[in-house]
Amino acid sequence: MMFGRYSGTFRHEFDEIQVEAAEVNGLLTYRRRCEGEAFERILVSNTGEIIINPVEPVNLPREITNYLMMEFSPMVIESGASRTVYLKFPVEIGVFLESTRDMEVLDIFGLGTQKYTLYGSPNNGIIARWYRSTVSSEFPEVGCLCQGVMELSISNASNEWVEVSHAVFNSTDMKIYYDDVVATTATMRILSPTLAETNFIDAPLRPGMVKSVELYTARKIPTINRGYLMEWGLS
Amino acid sequence: MTFNVTEILEIPTGVGSITVENLVYFAVIVLVGVAVARFVATNTRRILQERLAANERELFVKLVYYIIILWAVVVALPQLNVNLSGLLVAGGVAGLVIAFASQSVVSNLVSGLFLMFEHPIKIGDNVNVAGVTGSVEDVRVLSTVVKMYDGIYVRIPNEKVFTSNITNYVHNPARRFEYQLRIRYQDDANEAIRITKEVIETHPFALRSPAPSVFVDTLGDSSVNLTAYIWAPARNWWDVRTDLLWKIKQALEANNIEIPAPRRTVVFPEGSEAKTLAPGMVGKEEIFEKEE
Repeated sequence: MMFGRYSGTFRHEFDEIQVEAAEVNGLLTYRRRCEGEAFERILVSNTGEIIINPVEPVNLPREITNYLMMEFSPMVIESGASRTVYLKFPVEIGVFLESTRDMEVLDIFGLGTQKYTLYGSPNNGIIARWYRSTVSSEFPEVGCLCQGVMELSISNASNEWVEVSHAVFNSTDMKIYYDDVVATTATMRILSPTLAETNFIDAPLRPGMVKSVELYTARKIPTINRGYLMEWGLS
Repeated sequence: MTFNVTEILEIPTGVGSITVENLVYFAVIVLVGVAVARFVATNTRRILQERLAANERELFVKLVYYIIILWAVVVALPQLNVNLSGLLVAGGVAGLVIAFASQSVVSNLVSGLFLMFEHPIKIGDNVNVAGVTGSVEDVRVLSTVVKMYDGIYVRIPNEKVFTSNITNYVHNPARRFEYQLRIRYQDDANEAIRITKEVIETHPFALRSPAPSVFVDTLGDSSVNLTAYIWAPARNWWDVRTDLLWKIKQALEANNIEIPAPRRTVVFPEGSEAKTLAPGMVGKEEIFEKEE
């Protein structure tokens, strides 16, 4: 598995991804090739380390939003009912440079395609990364480098039956953990047939998982974990 | 010849009892105020760099900057024997006079304040204001600076901005653009629509919702005209527009659907006869053959 912390040279190849830090003409050089696209930087560092881990999937092909919309088979939920289901979410891979004083994002890449959508109306909605997932009651099998598992606890706090076919999350709240799979834990609390609160839980899905470095931490952007209020419908 | 600094400082300026020393103190206090204001403004800008949107950040920095300078002037004014309580009364009258004398300046100032609070445009927005199209560089107290797409700097007085129609191309999160596609009559329009939709689907920033729409719009003289409506994030729509059109054209051509050249059928009257045909010219019989 390529996720982890490296100092000096290393090399990993998996599927269509090749990542390495190698001496080139006496200079430590980071090189990455993913689905035919290449990225290269010369590294000048005394104490720096390279961290590679899964990151919030809203950066490719270019960062235009913080939101992630997960679409799944429609579920009809009874008033007061709650259920935990498993979805698959897209994974992007972040490469960070860390020193004792600072941390910087070096590279972000990922396998597969991306698609964006509008949640809400064109005049006051939001742009979100769109991903369709299957719904399963048990931990599904995933390809480690392009998909992760989201444990989603849905509860219906309204007084009506509610149909849900998508959940929108603010990725600044996203907490990703990994071992041999990438995972995150989220909640969705339905307040009315058109309103729901979503949030992430900062806890590993199973013991022993390592927490990913978050992009917002590396970019030194302060965020407040407030979750997201879905105001423009749930299906 | 020797200079005694104390004597020089005590020289009266001829305005009341103000001496050179008073003037020096006034200037020093104001200069220190300006230096402090610049220092605070620079650091405030740096601290808020990633915490606040550019528009709000610049507004806040300007507010801090001018408050500190105003404070320095107020602190320095007693050096000029200005009675601040009297200044309040005089200020009211002077304000009235200045307002009349500098009507357009005040008008621009008030318009600028309204613009800052109403937020019809923000720094970085792509806009059309008073016939000027470009991206907003700065919203100042008296004027708005727009950088046109060809790099030209345009300063527009805020009064004009406020009273003009403002078109903000990126105010909404998404916007729609369209393509006109022409195919030959013998091509399958349904197939062309399917291929076009497939190409649009593969582009990450051609939004999934609102869904793109591709349909036969009109039947032209020499082509079936399709229209494609595509929604894209407002800040990326131009990239999507320039990226997709060629891909659609290539995909259609790969499936033998081509853009027709304009064609006109010429019918000669019965009995007329072409005497000579220059190379490249088409005879009557050939025209009728093509129509068949």
